[in-house]
Amino acid sequence: MLTESESIALHSLPRTGDCVLEAHDLVQDFGRKRVLDGISMQLNCGEILAIVGGSGSGKSTLMRQLALLQTPTSGTISLFGKDVTNMGEFDILPLRRRMGVMFQHGALFGDLTVLENVSMPLREHTDLDLETIEQIAMLKIALTGLEPDAAALFPSQLSGGMRKRAAVARGIALDPEILFLDEPSSGLDPISADAMDNLVLHLKKNLGLTILLVTHDMDSLWRVADRILLLANAKVAAEGSIHDLAGSGNSAAQQFFNGPRGRAAGACHDQ
Amino acid sequence: MHSTRAQQKMRSQAGFFIEDSLARCTGFWVASNLHDVEKHLARAEWPEERVQINLGQISALDTAGAWLIHRTITELEADGRQVSILDADERAHQLLELVRSRAESAMEPPKPYLPGFLESVGRKTGGQFKQFFEFLVFTGKLAFVFFRSVLRPWRIRWPLVVKELQNAGVNALPIVGLLAFLIGIVIAYQGGIVLRDYGANIYVADIVGLSMVRELAPLITAIIIAGRTGSAYTAQIGTMMVTEEVDALRSIGVSPLEMLVLPKLIALVIALPLLTVFADVMGLFGGMIMSATMLDMNTATFINRLAEALSLDSYLSGIGKAPVFAAIIAAVGCFQGFRVFGSAESVGRQTTISVVQSIFLVIIVDAAFSIAFAKLGI
Repeated sequence: MLTESESIALHSLPRTGDCVLEAHDLVQDFGRKRVLDGISMQLNCGEILAIVGGSGSGKSTLMRQLALLQTPTSGTISLFGKDVTNMGEFDILPLRRRMGVMFQHGALFGDLTVLENVSMPLREHTDLDLETIEQIAMLKIALTGLEPDAAALFPSQLSGGMRKRAAVARGIALDPEILFLDEPSSGLDPISADAMDNLVLHLKKNLGLTILLVTHDMDSLWRVADRILLLANAKVAAEGSIHDLAGSGNSAAQQFFNGPRGRAAGACHDQ
Repeated sequence: MHSTRAQQKMRSQAGFFIEDSLARCTGFWVASNLHDVEKHLARAEWPEERVQINLGQISALDTAGAWLIHRTITELEADGRQVSILDADERAHQLLELVRSRAESAMEPPKPYLPGFLESVGRKTGGQFKQFFEFLVFTGKLAFVFFRSVLRPWRIRWPLVVKELQNAGVNALPIVGLLAFLIGIVIAYQGGIVLRDYGANIYVADIVGLSMVRELAPLITAIIIAGRTGSAYTAQIGTMMVTEEVDALRSIGVSPLEMLVLPKLIALVIALPLLTVFADVMGLFGGMIMSATMLDMNTATFINRLAEALSLDSYLSGIGKAPVFAAIIAAVGCFQGFRVFGSAESVGRQTTISVVQSIFLVIIVDAAFSIAFAKLGI
């Protein structure tokens, strides 16, 4: 049985280029500190948007708000063309199934194996046979590049890179349309970080995912991001492709992209 | 959007039909819809030799749907049929190809290794023995550190001891006092009912006095402190294990035993006997109130009778157990804290174990004391 909102959800499948997620004038206060001050942005179907900024610039908070995990102090968010700012938790549920989140440290359930972690969304939201669910979960695990043997391990037995991959596998278990990635390559060695970038590109290409990622890895930005949203002083300091930003006269963008690290990463990518 | 709900439901379902050698897939083949289709596929009567699967009427396909189609094709081909796909759009082709490329690992999910009955019994027993010996080693080290610092008391971290005294002693006064008071009331009430029938009201002071002072006050106090303070010790040290703060102490050249455990042990060995005295007083007070209200015994009579019934031996045998209980609670609490390994989840598990073990040991030791006192005639 499908509720009305679910069937509507299924009918309004967005096409590449449509705006799937739009935020207007988002504000977040923590006590007296204003972490986000009037952020407006949009995410288009089929693109990879990177939110960047220094530590404490509010980029993780912005991602949590967009993933509907935190209610903004003020401002509106609309998802797939519906205003979700004041929607109740139960009305949001069908929309949540169309989004996947990979948390920074994986947030895998510690008492479940990787396979059980990835199966969990499928078990909760479908009536398929357990055997089929496990096969689909294994498919997702294989898609993220984990070895099949890793599926039987517990999160505590995994390395950091494997944990992030398993978290991505859980994020894409229900074939979401939007995938949120919080710092996908932080804390990884260069080889794993490269592999993570490849995975992001691979998912976009093969599953047609729209991806929003939070990062401060310069190499990732050059390789995967179609568009970048640079946060500074709680506001959007600059927005555009990495070439636009690196070449712009904007002072925040200059600081970010023309520091030694930014230039080194740019040099490797013919900038 | 203007269609009725029934129509919307029809359209948003996934369908599967077989007509002659042609199978048609229709509608939304996405994970949340596939339950009925899965059942249909399992029961379907497939044509001999050649099967054509038409995907032209599929409105949406995800990996779960693609997997079902791929699995069906594989099974049909294994039975020696020829399968062809018709009218698949580019996206469907792409998904089917993607699923096919990973199919090998999907077919056989690895099972976690589950030990058999004998093996788990063996491992569990081995683990318990190992833990017991580790606890002995820990107790030995702790005793060594304790006596060494008793000889050199200026090396003890007194500010930490005072802080722990505040936490484990002063802050525990209200709860210990309240519970002892209530237990005093309960005992006076239960004893009073029986004694009144025999006209032996006066002996309620004996019952409350002896049971509170010899047994209940030390035991109740120890159990409260095990639940309240022992668990806090485990959680504190356990969290420090997870965040590598204990290793940081070691790397700076500070012994975690001296810094983390010794102040707690000293503080609790001082605090628990004092709390027990407080519990004695509150328990007797509760008994006295109950005797006055239920048995109409005036307080002077109660106190006089108490002075006759309670010997110094009884009082000291109760208080004397408290430092031993304190040492058990502090040692078990800290020991379980150091056994935390890996994640925050482990902190919760060890905390539970710590409380259960210290209460268990406190009761065992209390029983041993009772037997010893009986033999010694105290």
